[in-house]
Amino acid sequence: MRAEKTDEFDALIVGSGVSGVLIAKKLGQANKRVLILEAGQDLPPDINEYMNRFLTATAKVPESPYPPELFHGGKLTDPATVNAGRPTVLSLGAKGGPGDWQDPKQSYLIQDGPLAFGSTYERVNGGAARHWLGTSLRFLPADFEMKSRYGRFTDWPIKYGDLESWYGEAEKEIGVAGDAQEQTNHLGISFSSPYPMPKIPLSRVDKAVDAAMSGLQVGGVGLDELQWRVSSTPAARNSQPYQDRRVCAGNTNCIPICPIQAKYDPSVTLAEALRTGNVQVRYRCAASAVEVDETGRVSGIDYIQFDGDNGPVIRRGRLTAKVYILAGNAIETPRLLLMSKSERTPDGVANRRGHDGVIGKFLMDHPLYLAWALAPRPVWGYRGPLSTAGIEVCRDGEFRRDRGAFRIEIGNEGWNFPIGDPDTTTVDLVNGLNNSQLNKDNKALFGPALVKELNDKLSRQFRLGFLIEQSPDDSNTVSLSATAKDRLGLPRPRISYNLSDYTKRGLAAAKTTATAIFDAMNADQFTSAPPVDDPSSFPWPSGQMTRLKYYGAGHIVGTHRMGSAAAASAVNDMQQSWDHQNLFLVGSGTFPTVGTANPTLTIAALCLRTADHILHRVLN
Amino acid sequence: MIDFTRRKVLGVAAGTMASAIGAVQLAEPAAADDAADLDLFVRLSAALTGIDALQLAPLRDPLQIKRVYFKQAKSDPAFESLMQIVRANPDDPAGAAGKIMNDPDPKIKYLGRSIILAWYLGAWYQPTVLAQTPPPSSVVPLKIISPTAYTQAWAWRVAQAHPMGYSELRFGYWSDEPLPIDDFVKLKGA
Repeated sequence: MRAEKTDEFDALIVGSGVSGVLIAKKLGQANKRVLILEAGQDLPPDINEYMNRFLTATAKVPESPYPPELFHGGKLTDPATVNAGRPTVLSLGAKGGPGDWQDPKQSYLIQDGPLAFGSTYERVNGGAARHWLGTSLRFLPADFEMKSRYGRFTDWPIKYGDLESWYGEAEKEIGVAGDAQEQTNHLGISFSSPYPMPKIPLSRVDKAVDAAMSGLQVGGVGLDELQWRVSSTPAARNSQPYQDRRVCAGNTNCIPICPIQAKYDPSVTLAEALRTGNVQVRYRCAASAVEVDETGRVSGIDYIQFDGDNGPVIRRGRLTAKVYILAGNAIETPRLLLMSKSERTPDGVANRRGHDGVIGKFLMDHPLYLAWALAPRPVWGYRGPLSTAGIEVCRDGEFRRDRGAFRIEIGNEGWNFPIGDPDTTTVDLVNGLNNSQLNKDNKALFGPALVKELNDKLSRQFRLGFLIEQSPDDSNTVSLSATAKDRLGLPRPRISYNLSDYTKRGLAAAKTTATAIFDAMNADQFTSAPPVDDPSSFPWPSGQMTRLKYYGAGHIVGTHRMGSAAAASAVNDMQQSWDHQNLFLVGSGTFPTVGTANPTLTIAALCLRTADHILHRVLN
Repeated sequence: MIDFTRRKVLGVAAGTMASAIGAVQLAEPAAADDAADLDLFVRLSAALTGIDALQLAPLRDPLQIKRVYFKQAKSDPAFESLMQIVRANPDDPAGAAGKIMNDPDPKIKYLGRSIILAWYLGAWYQPTVLAQTPPPSSVVPLKIISPTAYTQAWAWRVAQAHPMGYSELRFGYWSDEPLPIDDFVKLKGA
């Protein structure tokens, strides 16, 4: 294939998510010429197009506002008919039912199991961070040193101190509101610069949980001696005007879409990148292969340009640059690398011919344990950002030798996440049902009695979400489906996924902790057990009838891990491929371990560090 | 520190809504012989929902969501039978509501429930689905009636809150208690 004349580009970036756009902006500001390839489409001229898709969606899931269409003819869209497909949480259903998780006609991901991988992403301007929550926690120092501190897994090739200043840069770039002193006091982590915005105030729900902390005792999960406390959550959400964006109005809708862009999303940075005049972006261009020359350097990226989500191919071409940066996500980036098989790269690019390649291995998430309860008095959920605080003090300790750690996210959206409220309880009370467990007498109410009962129930609802540290297991993989393809004819991602006993013990400890917190609050717990055919559940204790359910946290991590030596990793600490010096694989795929912090801030810090390295060491 | 006024909380500022939602869907004007039925429909809706008719359909009503729900309900085959009960009790909507909710004809009873759910959730739950036995573990609406219907849904106000994705309040409001329920919802007959 003949390469287009694009020699003027210093860098070619695949993906316009948070990783790609931060690097693009930094390179563009330094007068480097950058081209971004994005498989999805540009934003509509008016955000109301996305808002109206959200408002009218009967199932309001993280993917609802965004293209391509989730439904076609009353069924989930067949991913084989879509040029650049994406996963949806709607295809995590039981075998044989609607949204069958293993039906390739309903699920973009080809899930081999034994358990379901529950996290999703977007392929559109901004990538998965279109539907992110905004949580911007730093990793803890121990998160980089699991091997040396706890004898588990592996250490990162960098420590907290190597990343500290870059965290500060990232907090400014994406605009984080937080209280550094509180983070230091509660977690013992150092800050060399304050957050650019003051913290987001706590919600009534946060305060109700906080009020119970002094009397909380959690036994048997390594947290006996803990001084429990609620911490405000640093978030990329405006507490004052920032980057020409508005202050948060508490729309309670960070996921899937902030209607006023008070929450950072990568289109903010992309706009700044484009304004440098040195950055271009091409939408609806799916990268299909990475080419490597005889010297081992990447020599080009093949792409397919298409018209519309389901339209024809317009052009196939090859683009060249001095440096190549794959910034898909931890599923699409290994997919592209594994599709890039040639005589020179028989196992795919960056996958170490003749060695134990790691591309696609060690897939992780933060399996999320969800617990919900009715407080004894109103806490007034459904107000404020989706989450404004959490419990962070339980994120580290000696227990990590034995089980996965967790952080606890306090939800401000009542039982919307657990059971789809207010709809479920409202339908129950009007139609005499009890799917919510809040209408045990199956009353069918109307008139003022309905108002009173519904007010009482909705105003007391709250939930906790536990983000569990998942162990990196080389059997959890992204590979290529041998049979299922997208409309471009490219093989779809195949996922093998399981939870280790280490991870399961973390989930079990979360269940114990949730019950203790609810007891300390005198709250009535309603967390329900999953059905036996739920693919995101497992028996626990092992061999027993009782089951634990987990959700995806949207944190796709670990499939092109960094390391200190080429033998067991894909990239070095600059996210630079060991095999191909002008190739960078960026994003949470480079995390060797997942910790408990939501990954985006660490992604941003790593990418700013990588951009600096490219400018001063590679393109200088 | 936060400027709460009831008008802001209840938020019926049409200009804001129109710009925020983009496409406000106004139903076509009702035919003259529908006008009386529309009025009765609103009074029945107040009795069914427990929410004062002037909140469901304010005198100055730029959104006219009542017409949208009226049109939706009218498309149901049992609507005429339901309206006969209302017409027979023009001065007693509460009595009509009681008759409808206890009507031996399930088509009428479940249409009454669908009308309540439309006002509360902005979604159309088909009476035939509500009537299913055994009941489904998850009751799914046929559709969200319109973007405006979602943003005007009353369940959120009954929770002393706002529709997810549609706050008209100011930064930090969530840190304070909401206004009392009476400021969100005027009970029918209260």
